[in-house]
Amino acid sequence: MRDEETGSWWQQVTGEAIQGPLKGQHLRPVFHDELTFGLWKREKPDGRVLRPDESVARAGHYAPANWEERMAKVPVATNVNLDKSLDPRTLVVGVAVNGVSKAYPFDALAKQSPIIDEVGGVPIFLVVGEDKRSVRAYERLVEGRKLEFFVKPNANTLTLIDAETGGEWDFTGRAVGGQMSGQQLKKVAVLNDYWFDWKTYHPNTTTYELGAR
Amino acid sequence: MITNISSTFLTRRVAWITLLVIALISLAIVLLPVWIIQPFRPQSQRGLEASYAMRRWAPLLTVMILAAGLMLVLWLWRGARRWWRKALLVMVLVPLLASTWFARQNHFEWMFNPLAHAAYAKTSEAGFVADSDIVMSVESNGEAVAYPVRLMAYHHVVQDIVGGTPLVATY
Repeated sequence: MRDEETGSWWQQVTGEAIQGPLKGQHLRPVFHDELTFGLWKREKPDGRVLRPDESVARAGHYAPANWEERMAKVPVATNVNLDKSLDPRTLVVGVAVNGVSKAYPFDALAKQSPIIDEVGGVPIFLVVGEDKRSVRAYERLVEGRKLEFFVKPNANTLTLIDAETGGEWDFTGRAVGGQMSGQQLKKVAVLNDYWFDWKTYHPNTTTYELGAR
Repeated sequence: MITNISSTFLTRRVAWITLLVIALISLAIVLLPVWIIQPFRPQSQRGLEASYAMRRWAPLLTVMILAAGLMLVLWLWRGARRWWRKALLVMVLVPLLASTWFARQNHFEWMFNPLAHAAYAKTSEAGFVADSDIVMSVESNGEAVAYPVRLMAYHHVVQDIVGGTPLVATY
């Protein structure tokens, strides 16, 4: 990205200015989610949605619905030495806590959700939504207790149960039943990325292996 | 007399070579950054630094080269006796003018058209997004906004103010 005011060039993934007068400066990251629209609109019925530009839409320039499948076939351009255990285009969910980063291959996550883990000394878990696409991560330390979660079987909407209190939690990280009702889990930022890209910006990343824990 | 003629001949030859070389330099200044910073090609820190410097100085450099080129063309034109030499002189002006013009364009915005006037729809009225489409979403002070990835994959950058926080969404 280039800013009009100084002409500096900003790296999108890190928010760091890499060339120009503001070189070395960092933009402050804003917490964001990457969700399916169906899930988002149920959570935020009063929100607003970016509209397509009519002329761009008419010209057919916007990405088609199967865009992600197409991107998966684009050759990878990178100078980074990649760990050969993963295909460069493997979809991973990246987490970075206290300078420690870890990549969770999406397929492993989909199979094992929720994944209970600890990154950078912080107990966390990652969970896939009922749409089988959206991923969120939370800290699992509540009132000094380390919680472990599992998915409630046969629930209509995705519901998590913590093994300590048996309380129920929803996908937004709120306790919706039990003695912790009303509690909100602290969100952990995740990045949906390709393995080669995550590795480029997090050279010391480890990867999660299915069933490692 | 003879030495005089040959020295003029030599000067003209040098002027011709200079003209062609600066025309090539002018083109290189604007085309190298395009080549170095192309999508789906890995980039290095040095390549980016060089491109940034070239793009920064190109508007000034191309004008200076154009001015020098025009002087050379005028000078050579007066001494040119053959029509095809004059035609060649005019042709050399084409890359000089083209690179001067290109140095003043932002070709990245030709490829990745930014959204000049971002407009929004209420969640309930956003029929243009399918339930299975992915959105990037933010929330601040009770205001929630979704940026559909299919739109972001084209525009790449959208500026917004959400719950009082000025932000840039990028994909």
